Amino acid sequence: MSRLATTALALVLPVAALADGHAAPLTMAMHYNQDQAAPLLECLADYEAETGQAVEYQQVSYGEYLQTVLTGRIGGTQPDIYHLYSIWGAQMADNGVLAEPPAALADFIRAEYGTTADAATIDGTLYGVPTEVSVYMLVSNMALLRDAGYDAPPATWDELREIAEAITTRNDQGRVETAGFAFAESSSGAGVVHPFYALLASRGMDVYADGFAEANLDSPEAVAAARDLATLVDDGITEKSVDAYDAFPAGGAGMMVMANWYKSAIEDGLGSLDDVVVSPIPAGDDWKTLQYAFFMGVDSDSPNGDAAWEAVRWLNSADSADDSGVSCMGRMLSSIGALTANASDNAAMGEADAFTQPFLDALADGRTVSQPNVMQAAEIEGMMADAIDSVIAGDADAEAAMGDLDRAVEDVLFEFY
Amino acid sequence: MAGRALGRPGGNAPYWFLAPLFAFTGLFLVLPLGFSVYLAFTRWNPLGEPRWVGTRQFEYLLTRDDTFWATLSNTFVFAGALVVIGVPLALGLAFVFSRARGKAAWRAIYYLPQITSFVAIAYIWQFVLDDRYGLANRLLGLLGFRGFDWLTDPTMAMVSIVMVMVWYDVGKNMVVFSAAIENVSKDLYEAAELDGASAWIQFSRITVPIIRPAVVFVTVTSFISGMGFFALILAMTGGGPRGATEVTALYLYEMAFQDLRMGRASAGALILFAIIAVLTVLQFRLLRERKA
Repeated sequence: MSRLATTALALVLPVAALADGHAAPLTMAMHYNQDQAAPLLECLADYEAETGQAVEYQQVSYGEYLQTVLTGRIGGTQPDIYHLYSIWGAQMADNGVLAEPPAALADFIRAEYGTTADAATIDGTLYGVPTEVSVYMLVSNMALLRDAGYDAPPATWDELREIAEAITTRNDQGRVETAGFAFAESSSGAGVVHPFYALLASRGMDVYADGFAEANLDSPEAVAAARDLATLVDDGITEKSVDAYDAFPAGGAGMMVMANWYKSAIEDGLGSLDDVVVSPIPAGDDWKTLQYAFFMGVDSDSPNGDAAWEAVRWLNSADSADDSGVSCMGRMLSSIGALTANASDNAAMGEADAFTQPFLDALADGRTVSQPNVMQAAEIEGMMADAIDSVIAGDADAEAAMGDLDRAVEDVLFEFY
Repeated sequence: MAGRALGRPGGNAPYWFLAPLFAFTGLFLVLPLGFSVYLAFTRWNPLGEPRWVGTRQFEYLLTRDDTFWATLSNTFVFAGALVVIGVPLALGLAFVFSRARGKAAWRAIYYLPQITSFVAIAYIWQFVLDDRYGLANRLLGLLGFRGFDWLTDPTMAMVSIVMVMVWYDVGKNMVVFSAAIENVSKDLYEAAELDGASAWIQFSRITVPIIRPAVVFVTVTSFISGMGFFALILAMTGGGPRGATEVTALYLYEMAFQDLRMGRASAGALILFAIIAVLTVLQFRLLRERKA
């Protein structure tokens, strides 16, 4: 009897709570830590006070986000609101994990976010609100450039090679001490793949063709882009072992192709950003670059889907703006030095600092191409990183390596398209 | 009834005592293993439903996936080096310390890595082996040498991983050998010394033959753990540079949890399991034959 009573109580209590006017709390999983998310947490408290709808914040580390979501879904404990790296979206959408936003919210997204809405769009269907945007640009330590006799960052790849070579110094052991240019070393391979994307886009070539059925990785443009990166090492201008993530903030690298989110690390390392210049990808007048984004989406199995979308809308719209006119999400992103593509927020925030403004200009001027939302994107980018790395290391000829890569990537694409 | 009671004292009691173990084994071994075998014949990312594809995952891995074969090659190099270098080293150290003063302290010192986190070990060795700022190359620089590209050259990266793994594992194997050596009768050594046998003769003609079961055990377990090991590699090189230290277990882990190819990863795990099983049986037979 006592077990029955307990069970009955457990069933009745939530219903009683709902009947008492308290909506079931929503859960929102994001990778930002508590300090980074502090402005957002304040907003969530305001939202609950305003609407009676509680939203619980769950921090999930970036590296384990997808696995955590998968495990949660298998166990039926998935969050209502996701915050997803755009390249995860294709698989989640393909498996029916993501819900489509209400029509009014979709209209709002398309009006506010311009081309960045592509980051949350899979096969023509919009799945959420773009939030943090990252753009790659050339970042230069002007003190090192001036020491080498140059007053401005390079505008072409040949100029980059010339300046990098002039900056590079070696120690007694023949190892690079100060690198003119450095690649970022990341486990995902983004440190070479993202600059490769930028160089490929600057040559006017897309990574994929025919609705993702084919890859253009064996195109002359792709081979040339890989070769541009490889010859920096092959010609002794830099070494792959110099990691831009460490070397640049330590004053040991003159230039790197890097996203805006590394701003605070550079500032912490160098002491200030006064002598750091952000400039276009050095690929001539037709330069383009890569942007990628996170987006907020809602789980298709969420029992509180409508409430979840309403919370997402509120957080990203003027309804959550404070006196500055910036939405809640815009304020949080601004506080951590991240970019938003929300036009109203950017207008309300006005001119950014000298470091950030070129990234925003690239977005506003249509210089950015979105990272493709292709199935198995992370796997494919890992394959790309391996191939480009082998060219950079001189293990393989660019044409042969990119040809092999193209075939391997099309093998993956064939499974899905 | 009386006969039954005599045949099985306590009735069903033994089974009740064993029941938790059976339940645990069923839940955490048989069930996942069975599910893994099933998955090997499906295509599944955990977002959707498994789809039966027959033997296609095996066909792909064995006939089209060059990386899988490359990782198998790396795995054999890694496991082989662990046995060829690690086992004799542990045996030699155990023999030397069995005759040394403060042998318990030496054994404890060599065992220390075993109680240290892999991640901490990986970070420490990354600092030591860093090309530009690492302690190893700084010391070599003082001696006038350029040093090695420990973690950025494909060959040296494998050498470094094996070196660190041997350093990590040698203490554990040494303890096993030490226990076996302690059980060898001292009379045998005294008799050998009276006959003028050198330390090497005593080691090779007395110690090794007598502790052969321990040698077989350590060799086989080192090989098995080497074939399936990847935690240190994941933390230290991530399988790089350019796949040079990508062992099969690491490749399958990435396939399953990064690329979400659970079916293919399960098929790869079964292939790896089969290889390890065959080689383990072969090892046992070879070592037994030598004993005979």
